[in-house]
This record gives sequence, C-alpha cells and structure tokens, in this order.
Amino acid sequence: MAEGECLGILGPNGAGKSTLLRMLATLLRPDAGALSVGGHALPERAGRARGLIGYMGHDPLLYLDLTAWQNLELFADLYGVPRPRERIADMLREVGLLPRAHDAVRTLSRGMAQRLGLARLLLHRPSLLLLDEPHASLDAPGAALLDRVLAEARGAQTVVLVTHDLERVLPIAGRVLVLRAGRAVLSAGTAGVDPAAFRAEYEALVA
Amino acid sequence: MKPSWVRQLRALLLKDLRLELRTRDTVAAMILFAVAAMVIFQFGFGTRDTDLTRFAGGLLWVTLALTAVLGVGRTYVAEREQRVLDGLLAAPVPRLVLLGAKALAIVAYLLVVEVIAVPLVGVFFIKDGPWLGDLPLIFLVCLLADVGIGILGTLFASLALFTRARELLLPVLFLPALVPVVIAASGATHAVAGVPNDMAEYRGYCLFLGAYAVVFALVAYATYEAVFDD
Amino acid sequence: MIERLRGRGLAISGALALVLTTLAVIGVFFVAPEDADQGIIQKIFYFHVAIAITSLIAFAVAFVAGLRYLWTRDERADEVGSIAIGLGLLFSVLVVLTGSIWAKASWGTWWVWGDARLVTYLIVILIYAAYFVLRSSADGDRRMRYSAIYAVAGFASVPLSFYSVRVAQSFVHPVVFTRNGAEMPGSMLIWFVVSQAAFLAIFTTFLLLEMRQRRADRALRRLKLRLEAAGSGV
Repeated sequence: MAEGECLGILGPNGAGKSTLLRMLATLLRPDAGALSVGGHALPERAGRARGLIGYMGHDPLLYLDLTAWQNLELFADLYGVPRPRERIADMLREVGLLPRAHDAVRTLSRGMAQRLGLARLLLHRPSLLLLDEPHASLDAPGAALLDRVLAEARGAQTVVLVTHDLERVLPIAGRVLVLRAGRAVLSAGTAGVDPAAFRAEYEALVA
Repeated sequence: MKPSWVRQLRALLLKDLRLELRTRDTVAAMILFAVAAMVIFQFGFGTRDTDLTRFAGGLLWVTLALTAVLGVGRTYVAEREQRVLDGLLAAPVPRLVLLGAKALAIVAYLLVVEVIAVPLVGVFFIKDGPWLGDLPLIFLVCLLADVGIGILGTLFASLALFTRARELLLPVLFLPALVPVVIAASGATHAVAGVPNDMAEYRGYCLFLGAYAVVFALVAYATYEAVFDD
Repeated sequence: MIERLRGRGLAISGALALVLTTLAVIGVFFVAPEDADQGIIQKIFYFHVAIAITSLIAFAVAFVAGLRYLWTRDERADEVGSIAIGLGLLFSVLVVLTGSIWAKASWGTWWVWGDARLVTYLIVILIYAAYFVLRSSADGDRRMRYSAIYAVAGFASVPLSFYSVRVAQSFVHPVVFTRNGAEMPGSMLIWFVVSQAAFLAIFTTFLLLEMRQRRADRALRRLKLRLEAAGSGV
C-alpha cells in the first residue's frame, strides 16, 4: 500500500478479515507469502514494525482494573512516547475523558472505554492504523471522533479498515478488498463508484 | 524512537503490581493457602504434640512450592480475562522483557508471602534453639529460590496460557521441575534454621539455587521467541 | 513416498539390534562371572544401567530436536522429538522397574528413597509424562512449538534433579563408574558395553521404525483422500 492510502476490507463472517489484520499487526505469522510494514519485513523485523503500527481489535485492549491514566501510561512507556504526561493529557482531552482520567476503566461505560481505546491507539502517533470494525460499540461522540481521525489520516497516515458496513467505508477508503473464505475476490478503487451498484456486486460475490 | 527496555520493564512490572494492589486477589490467596498448608502438615505428620523441628525447612519449602504453583497460575489472568494480551504483543516490546516483567512480579509476590510464612514456620515448628538471628540467611535462600521459580513459572505459565485445561496443566508441568528447588532450598534452610549453623552446606545449597536460576534463564533465553510466536 | 534408503537404515539398525541383544543376553547370563554378593540378580544391573543411559540419550535427542524445531520449524524435528521422548519415557519406566527388582533382591524393599538414581528417574518420568499432557492440550503449530520448548526445559531439569537428589541423601546405590573408570573387572565390563550397545541399537530401531510407520500412515491418508476426491469429482 502507498503511504496515506486507506484500504477497506470487506467480506462475510469467517472470511479471514480479522486474521489478515492481525497478521499486519504482527500478532500472527503467515503460513506463506510475504508482508512488510514500513520497509520492515514481517515476521523477521516485526519488532521494528510494531512501533509504527496502531492496532485496534474488537476488544479495547485495556486493563479494566487500572485507571484510564494508568492504562495510557503503560502504553506510553511500552511505545517509548516522549514527554508522556503531556501526551496522555492531550489524548484524554481529545477523547473527552480527562475528567475521568483517574477512574478505573471498569467504571467507564462501554462507549467511553472504546474512546479510551482510541486514545491508546493514537498515543504513539502510528503511521499505520489497523482498525477492526471500529464503528461497532462506539457511542456518538466516539463515532464522531473516529470519523475526524480518519479524515485527518487521509494522506498523512495509512489506514486499513475492516468492516461490515459498505456504505460507511466507500467514502473513506481509496480502495477496497473483498475477502471470501480466506481468499481475495475483488480489489478495486472506490473513485466514482456508485454505492448501490457496488452493493449489488458485493452481494453477488459473497453469496 | 526505540523505547528503552528498562522503561518497558518498569512499566510492565508496575502494571502487574498495581493490578495486584487494586484487586489483592493473588497474594491474599497465596498467604491463606500457605498458612492452611502449614496447619495441614502439622496434623498430617502427627498429632498436636508432635515435634517437627527438624522438618521445619522442608515444611517451609513444600508450602512455598505449592503456593508458588497457585500464584503462577494467576500470572496471566488479567491478560486473559480482559483480552489485553494483543495490546502487549502488538507493542514493540521484546518478548524477553514481557517474560522478565512477569517473572519479577512472581518474585515480588513470593517475597511478600515469605515475609509472613518464614517467621510463621519458626513460630509453629521450631521448638528449641533461636532462629530469629538466622532470618536474613533464610531470606537470602528465599530470594535465590524465588528467582528460579519466577523464571521457570513464567515460562510454563506462558506455555499453558493457550492450552486447554490450563489450570491442570500448569501444576503438572511445574511441580516436577520444582523438585530441585525444594530440595536445595529446604536443605539450605535446614542448615541454618537451628543451632548450630552449617555454613558449608548452606553455601553449597545456595550455589545450587543460583545455578538453577541460571540454567532456566538460559532455557528461557533460548526459547522465548517461540512462546508467543503465533 | 516410502524411501528405499531409509528402509535400508532401518534394516541395518534392526539387524544390529537383534544381533547385539542376543549377544548381550548370552553374554550376561552365561558367560559373565556371577557376582559373589548378589548372585544372579546382579545380572539385571547390566540392563538397568544400559537402559538408563539409553533413556538419557533419548531425552538428549529430543532436546536437540526441540532446539532444531525452534530454529527451523521443521515438522520432522517435532516428530523425532515426540517419538524420542516416548521411547525415553518407556525406558525410564523400565529403569525404575528393574531398579526396584534389584532393590528388592539387594535390600529387601521394593523402593529405597536413598537411591539417588532411582528417585531421579521417578522425577524424570513425571517430567516427561507431562510432555504428553502438554501435547494433548494444544493443537497444530502451538503444539509443536510448546513441545519443543518443553523438551528443552525438561532436559535441563534432569541434571538439576539428579544432582539435587544425590546431594540430599547419602548413597545407598553403589556407584559403578568412578572418576578413574568403571569399578568393574574387565570380564564384566565387556558385557556391560555389549548390553549398552544393544539398547542403543534397540532405541534407534524403534525410532526409525516409528518414523517410518508415521510416514506410511500419512502417505496412506493422502492416497485415500486423493481416491475419494477422484471418485466424487467425476
């Protein structure tokens, strides 16, 4: 993928979308083929690549019994974020959780926890964002935040987005990849594509 | 920017300690378990009147070994229940640092248990001869043994993490490998627990405990990459 | 598929095993002098020690196979490791059984905690039986990786266990190999060596045999699948 591009991955359940994303996140080792992120081949140079990647899966990846601040502090240290205190405060402010910074994540609502997950995602300013169905379980402010993030990412950060939501992904992504039963069945640019027509084509492909 | 491993290690260790302080499950359970075990030993080996002085060292370490299995079994519980492991693995943390932090956490928990269990063993089981003065010596034994237990425990807990029946698997893997620790640590404790102290024996056993820790540190170093390498 | 060359290796090893074992049995029971103190039961000793050393070699093979698997991810290394440990475990059980028989004949009890080698082998059995519990709890790639790691850790446990058990108790078990060499008269030593060679050959034979068996199984399954596919695809 080119830098700054946004790729949408679509497909029915079990098609392997999440698996592909996890491979990119260096969580899984591919059986065959080659992957590289930011010039670092996976899985050999995975360690180098990890600092560039921000991964958000179905789970918010947070410790429920630590406070929001402590969670971000942990990840700031793991990613080597400079001037962590400032950065954490900034991120908490951006996601609207600064007043709850010292509350345990367990006490936050699901939407808030997901927003905190977004803060964790962006904390170390990753150049590659890997998002697995991010719109699911985000509350309204969270969804607005995500849209803003994706808009700002255009051209600046590379994004790979796994989703079920065709209509949502078409305006954001420059390209889409459709997976079915572990194989790619379509790779197409989205410029000038009519959503209805695309949906028809998509349904036919995954039937 | 490449994050310093010291910073990462500190952060991970702090995370585990903070979690434990917040929930206080593991250490409390370990302490209760240790005390209960001691009571059972007293009655298992005799009646209320039986003098178990010469077994004090052994009792201490059998208790601690079993307590360690309990504690190690809880190592990954937060990561498992809250599905955070992906977050740790996706971060640029060397796997060795992850394992090292867990091992240090186990050492910390065991030390806390030992601060209570060691004097308790003295009170419960050592009928004659002073032992308070020997406490620093015994705590050195504890430290040496704990390092080996922590390293091996973390390695095996990581193996058991993704398997079926992990609560059963861990003791099955761990206990046979702990036998040398129990032997050496109880030998060392026994050498100094009563009067007179046999320093030659003590040193020998302590050296062995050190060797044990080194051997398993090497094993962990040789194999750590493959542990999380899905 | 079924390789001729490997087959030859198996044949050689099998023949060797047969010859050596026969030689050993004859030698031990009919030629070697009877021990003054213990009589005919002492003969079991030839096999006891040979089996013990062979089992250690089996575990060492698994140790190397484990490292090799971790280095190359070659599935054959995993296979060799698991077979070697299976054989090693079997031999360890035999060590404990023969040792126990000897203990009964020598000291009148079936078990002696003061016998460092016997106790160590009990621990070894626990360590390597756990290997199979581990294997049955995981699948596929994880199973192989975890087995390899455990084969390495387990082998490291063995000398540690032996040394600690030995130090913990005074000897009851007579030490046969001193620093200067075996404490046995030459007439006994030769049959010990033959016996050792025989068990090594037995180990190698069974290892190769089992590997061949598994390979044949896999080939058969592949053939079956192919036939089924061909039959249904028409």
